[in-house]
Amino acid sequence: MSIWLVITRKELLDAIRDRRALMALLLFPVIGPFVIYFMFNTIVDIAEEAKDLTLPIVGAEYAPDLVDFLEQSGIKLTPIVNEYETSSEARNSKPYIYPARLLADIREKIENRTYDFVLLIPPDFSIRLGESKTVNLELFHESSRATAQAKMGRVQQTISAWHQETASLRLMARGISPTIARPVSIEKIDVASPQARAQRILGMIPFFIIVAAFVCGMGIAVDATAGERERKSLEPLLVNPIQRTSIVVGKWMAAATFSGLGLLLVMVLNLLALNQVPLEQLGLSFSISATEIIGIVMITLPLAFFATALQLFVGIFAKSFKDAQAYLSVISMLPMAPLFFNIFNTVDRELWMSLVPMLGQHMLLADVVAGKNPPLFDFAVAAVSVVLFSLVFIYGATLVFKRERIIFS
Amino acid sequence: MIEVDGLRKRFKQVRAIDGVSFSARDGAITGLLGHNGAGKSTSLRILYGLLTADSGSALVDGINVMNEPQKAQENIGVMTDAHGLYPRLTAREHIEYFAQLRKLDKSIIDKRTELLIEQLAMEEIADRRAEGYSQGEKMKVCLARSLIHNPQNIIMDEPTNGLDVMTTRSVRTILQTLKDQNKCILLSSHIMQEISALCDEVIVISEGKVLMQGSLDALLTSTGESDLEEAFMSITRASR
Repeated sequence: MSIWLVITRKELLDAIRDRRALMALLLFPVIGPFVIYFMFNTIVDIAEEAKDLTLPIVGAEYAPDLVDFLEQSGIKLTPIVNEYETSSEARNSKPYIYPARLLADIREKIENRTYDFVLLIPPDFSIRLGESKTVNLELFHESSRATAQAKMGRVQQTISAWHQETASLRLMARGISPTIARPVSIEKIDVASPQARAQRILGMIPFFIIVAAFVCGMGIAVDATAGERERKSLEPLLVNPIQRTSIVVGKWMAAATFSGLGLLLVMVLNLLALNQVPLEQLGLSFSISATEIIGIVMITLPLAFFATALQLFVGIFAKSFKDAQAYLSVISMLPMAPLFFNIFNTVDRELWMSLVPMLGQHMLLADVVAGKNPPLFDFAVAAVSVVLFSLVFIYGATLVFKRERIIFS
Repeated sequence: MIEVDGLRKRFKQVRAIDGVSFSARDGAITGLLGHNGAGKSTSLRILYGLLTADSGSALVDGINVMNEPQKAQENIGVMTDAHGLYPRLTAREHIEYFAQLRKLDKSIIDKRTELLIEQLAMEEIADRRAEGYSQGEKMKVCLARSLIHNPQNIIMDEPTNGLDVMTTRSVRTILQTLKDQNKCILLSSHIMQEISALCDEVIVISEGKVLMQGSLDALLTSTGESDLEEAFMSITRASR
């Protein structure tokens, strides 16, 4: 058996018995798919809720026409009873103003999430309408409540449809064509609805995969470098007649094994999560073929070697677990760089990006997830680049490993 | 057989050893005696190939450690100052790991492992993980893994440091057995009783220089003292 393999086997045995390393391997990959599953379901729920809409309304009795129109548009109305004004005489006296306590009540119920919004119809609705004046409807809402945005949008659309209709009727009653008052009509074609949000979530998958490469192998990388130094087990190890390169490679392969397993686990779990999400309800379809899966594995697996090579190189400078953890948590932030790059630069993938470790993988993965098929050449460039970077780090680690200072302090 | 000649080593501004020469013959236990920081560990580390000397030579069975460190390491079993055990591996796994690193055959590994476990009375801890071992148990594992390849030369840095009387005694017994097998044993210590109880030859080292090498009796006669401690004091005092 090759020496590096002896070392890899020992490090893996050690890691499997190490609860910390094992937790990193098994726990982290679950987080990403869980988040994605949860977010998708929320979006689906929001989309579903907008279809099935109830609108709390005050003063429905003053505007029977509008109420009919809203109900015909499929909006269910929940009348809020004005319990501060019990006598119907007072309510019908003119001019009538809603009691301040009722308004305060509405605000409170929106704040404590009993309602997302409330439509307030003024008591003089029919009178002003009859006099062809403008009626002031009031829509109470909470703009920071993101989940209510879709429903709000629908309420506003329905009201403005009624507004258009009424305006047209008024003009026609005066023998004027409604088009005169409407020189321009805008038809909004919404493409950035739930589908777009879903696409954005799919865009997070590459990030989770790349982070997994860093997180899952870190336990071994730390243990095999700073751990050996802290335990002072490096000196006894090095009195054996073996090449330092074999030691570094052996440790690298052990860490890369964990990192690679973590990667695969994230991918499998993500696929499972996407299978569970009712994507078709968003009008999205996510189908992935076996070749695409092989493609994704080919893009990401070299990252396991890259991430752990970098971690070994940095970890070897650390004298203790604590030091190493501090250094390596900074490194674990690196996968965020391509994510931000992607957020702030909405450019398409270009070939040079494949040369940059992690950025290349991120962009390629994003393309694959979005259903595009990047050319095979770009995959190869990304893989070769990452492997070359890894070898540089491993060579560097071997050089550092040969320093006397590293062994004895 | 170990021969060291004119070793010098400097760490930045500190001169750790400054012309160390000594030899350790087969079939004898040779003790490197000196204060903390006298240069014992540095000399030994150069011998087993982990430090490079600035000048001088170190031969193990005639192999120059500077030129062929790995070939020299094949003929040495080393017990370092720090035990450096892996807390999640058992004693047997520690021994087998080092045996595999030395590319021994599976059948030899099994045979030697069993033999060492028996010789060192390690049956109880053989399949227990190293976390929670006592000092003596740790020492035994280190000794076993350094002897797995049956080396001709055995180098031990402070072997009985921190051991209780019982374990110290069993270490002595093992060293006597190894000596009877005509091995070359070189150990360092700053404990006088240890050296006088164990060693055939004593090398007195102080401030990076060898002050004297000879048998215990020769040391006592040349200084005119009745025990090693007094002899050691008088030798180091005379050098200042």
